[in-house]
Amino acid sequence: MSLDTATPSQPAGASQVRQPSPSAVTKADLARAAATRRRKAAQWKLVVGTICTLLVIIPIILANVLPLPDANFQDLAARRLPPLTDGHLFGTDQLGRDLLSRVLHGGQVSLTIGLLAVLVSGAIGVILGSAAGYFGGWVDTIISRLLEAQMSLPLLMMLLLVVALFGPTIPVITFVIAIAQWPEVARLTRSMVLVEREKPYVSAARILGLHRIQILIQHIIPNVIKQATLVVLLLLAQAVLLESALSFLGAGPQRPFATWGRIISDGQAYITTSWWMVTLPGLVIVLMVVGVNLLGDGLRDRPRRKKKGA
Amino acid sequence: MAVSNSSTQQPKFTEQPLLEVRDFQVELITDAGIIRAVDSVSFSIHRGETVTIIGESGSGKSTTAMGILRLLPEDLAVLSGTVVIDGVDISADPKAIDKVRGRTLALIPQDPMTALSPVHSIGSQLFEAIRIAGAASAKDKGALQARAVRLLEQVHIPTPEKQLKKYPHQLSGGMLQRVLIAIALASEPQLLVADEPTSALDVTVQGGILDLLLELQEQRGIGILMITHDLGVARLISDRIHVMKDGSFVESGEVQQIVDHPATDYTRSLLAAVPVLGPWDETPAPAARHSAATTNPALTQTGAKP
Amino acid sequence: MTNYILKRLGQGLLTVFLTVSTVFILIRLAPGDPAVSYAGPLATTEQLAKVREQFGLDKSLLEQYWIFLQQLFTGNLGQSYSFQAPAMQVVFERLPYTLTLATSAILLTAVVAIPLGVWMARRPDTGREFGVNVLTIAGQSMPDFWTGIMLLTVFAVLIPIFPASGFATWGGLVLPTVTIAILQIALISRMVRREMTANFAAPYLTVARSRGVRSSLLTWRYAMGNSAIPVFTALGTRFAAMLNGVVVVEVVFAWPGVGSLIVRALETRDYPLIQATVLITALLAVAVQLLIDLAYPLLDPRVRLGKAATA
Repeated sequence: MSLDTATPSQPAGASQVRQPSPSAVTKADLARAAATRRRKAAQWKLVVGTICTLLVIIPIILANVLPLPDANFQDLAARRLPPLTDGHLFGTDQLGRDLLSRVLHGGQVSLTIGLLAVLVSGAIGVILGSAAGYFGGWVDTIISRLLEAQMSLPLLMMLLLVVALFGPTIPVITFVIAIAQWPEVARLTRSMVLVEREKPYVSAARILGLHRIQILIQHIIPNVIKQATLVVLLLLAQAVLLESALSFLGAGPQRPFATWGRIISDGQAYITTSWWMVTLPGLVIVLMVVGVNLLGDGLRDRPRRKKKGA
Repeated sequence: MAVSNSSTQQPKFTEQPLLEVRDFQVELITDAGIIRAVDSVSFSIHRGETVTIIGESGSGKSTTAMGILRLLPEDLAVLSGTVVIDGVDISADPKAIDKVRGRTLALIPQDPMTALSPVHSIGSQLFEAIRIAGAASAKDKGALQARAVRLLEQVHIPTPEKQLKKYPHQLSGGMLQRVLIAIALASEPQLLVADEPTSALDVTVQGGILDLLLELQEQRGIGILMITHDLGVARLISDRIHVMKDGSFVESGEVQQIVDHPATDYTRSLLAAVPVLGPWDETPAPAARHSAATTNPALTQTGAKP
Repeated sequence: MTNYILKRLGQGLLTVFLTVSTVFILIRLAPGDPAVSYAGPLATTEQLAKVREQFGLDKSLLEQYWIFLQQLFTGNLGQSYSFQAPAMQVVFERLPYTLTLATSAILLTAVVAIPLGVWMARRPDTGREFGVNVLTIAGQSMPDFWTGIMLLTVFAVLIPIFPASGFATWGGLVLPTVTIAILQIALISRMVRREMTANFAAPYLTVARSRGVRSSLLTWRYAMGNSAIPVFTALGTRFAAMLNGVVVVEVVFAWPGVGSLIVRALETRDYPLIQATVLITALLAVAVQLLIDLAYPLLDPRVRLGKAATA
């Protein structure tokens, strides 16, 4: 007997609705499925990442209104107090300054530098990257060669040199970090624009008579911006790390407040007797950077929902 | 392309089928929910016969083939139903598929350009298939080489010794597909699963591949499960056809019957979708020609009658 | 293929040229008298005059540049006044220490990150892998100087297993290597995970599986075979990038390499030394990158043999 279903003797065009067979998917299958696991992982990362980041950023933003002693106020009678003594949550440093206040105010400077640097490098990167991707030809060649060259340079050394020459001020450091980061944004933007350029809507726009730059600005860049923003977020974390490294080496800003790297390097000499001076500021950095990285990962791995009307 | 099927007899019902599929179902767990890609299909294939599953993209035909071979990722697809290959029930015991892979059955994939590892030579991948099938041992380089060369000759590849040393990116699509068939043959299969083997190839090359498959079937009596969306291919090579839509079979039968007397609307529209050579004289107005092509029953049969 | 080699060489030369010119411009752009930068703050007027003549500091910028390039070609990178020795010599004395550190860090990274990445790719987003995944995120989030200080404190001071600084014994190599490696392992293992996952999903792997190829072969022969090339390239690129990050670690561990050298040179405003360090490090980074680029065709048959489709 033939095992084939749906024999030809059925009336043509019959609207027979076969009863759908029962599903064989079990709860265990669902839990095991790659899609489920990925979704759960992304959710966890998003939640935890946001919490960690906010745990650091909110106190920093509110540093001026919180009941903290002045960050530069030296109280030589209260030197190197351990955490949780006398109202000093993080203890004090070798000059009696409240460590938490120093960390939060220093964080304000670090974050400002980081944000500015990322904005500048993001802007430069997107502009140059999309120009390279869209116009191609010698524009692309020049920008790409420049990109590659810079990515092979001993960057930290050059940055230290610039700061040594021009002074450890906020503008200089911001500029220096921005220069360090634009290649990554540019590279990503360039490859995305290369892909977008081949899409039909671009040719359609050309036929409609739109000037090339108009197309680039009005159409291509908005499509590319979302993913670029993700990279920029991760670059913020990198910028903070880079700034702290610079400041650790003595090339960081001193006014108005010393930043995290400097606080840690100051505390290095007392590490065995006053561990909090190095450990706590470091933990703050780690918490924030981990938070931003988790957030970035979670955003990237989030399941793409179909847009309405796509 | 006037090759006729050699096995026009009725399949031998007394013989155990090579492939037996009963109530086979594939459900995919995706971000968008559970998708039933294959909805309880059943069919069988006997030795020496070619069964084709034909349908549009997204109908579930490739998924059926991949599911039967258990090549779908385990954390994506949930399989149910019964699949028996040459007497081995591979649906009950997941490990059982290892017994038949590379020995009883073989896959001919869709896109030859991505079907082989780019950093390993053709030869090394062919040797591996020969070793797995047990036709020669790893130590016996001479036997491996001889067998590989013979396989390449059987698929009509010129200068086989030279080709063995090459890498996939150095060969054209048609040549690669022949190499893939050779690799499939290395397994000494009883059943070949061909997943749209000609879709990625030029029309001029397609015919050669199909001829090759038919030739091999004639020589060895293997069964072929062909997956395609191309009605021309189906007509050429099949004994029986299953028309698939949205995960289930809407019509099945002998190839001549389906083509000459389609029973469902869907099959009819599939047949009608094949472009037809109109009259040489192109002066009729476009509107008139278009309507003639869709309403004239003589023209809606698949073109190029033998 | 020669085309490829020439292109890569050209790129390397461009990088060096760019570095060189940037250093040149920077020093002359900065506020202050470049002669003082080169001769040192304690120089006498005669010494300053000599330096002015040597570097042509009263000539036009273009002429200065030409003199500068000439000096580079003859290997004259100036005199380090804080060391009272030719700058190039000072740098070359300390270069081996940095190279040792960088090499051992890369080796440690390769040995740990590759198996780790493969392990992660085989069970993505499962409970255990997720934990490890988050750990790698933590690994790339820790500032290396802080990690170094923490490791130093715990393993050299509190529990004196390793020496606290310098390179007196081979044991001194351990802590700085681990410090550098933590970040690199985090980055590389994630990259391996990405590459392997992509290869596991590739059509050729499914086809190989259909042939009955064993799971272990699928992982190590096929997926790894195809992942090896980008991973190897990444390791090489990381080496060049590490010459960069090594600065901080060398300072923390008082490691006598070029990283701590440049920090010291910056403190003393010893510009000939700074210049020499930057240039030599850049050359080294470019050389490593070039080696990797040249090795690439050896690994990837697609680049080595090019397209030669036979009908």
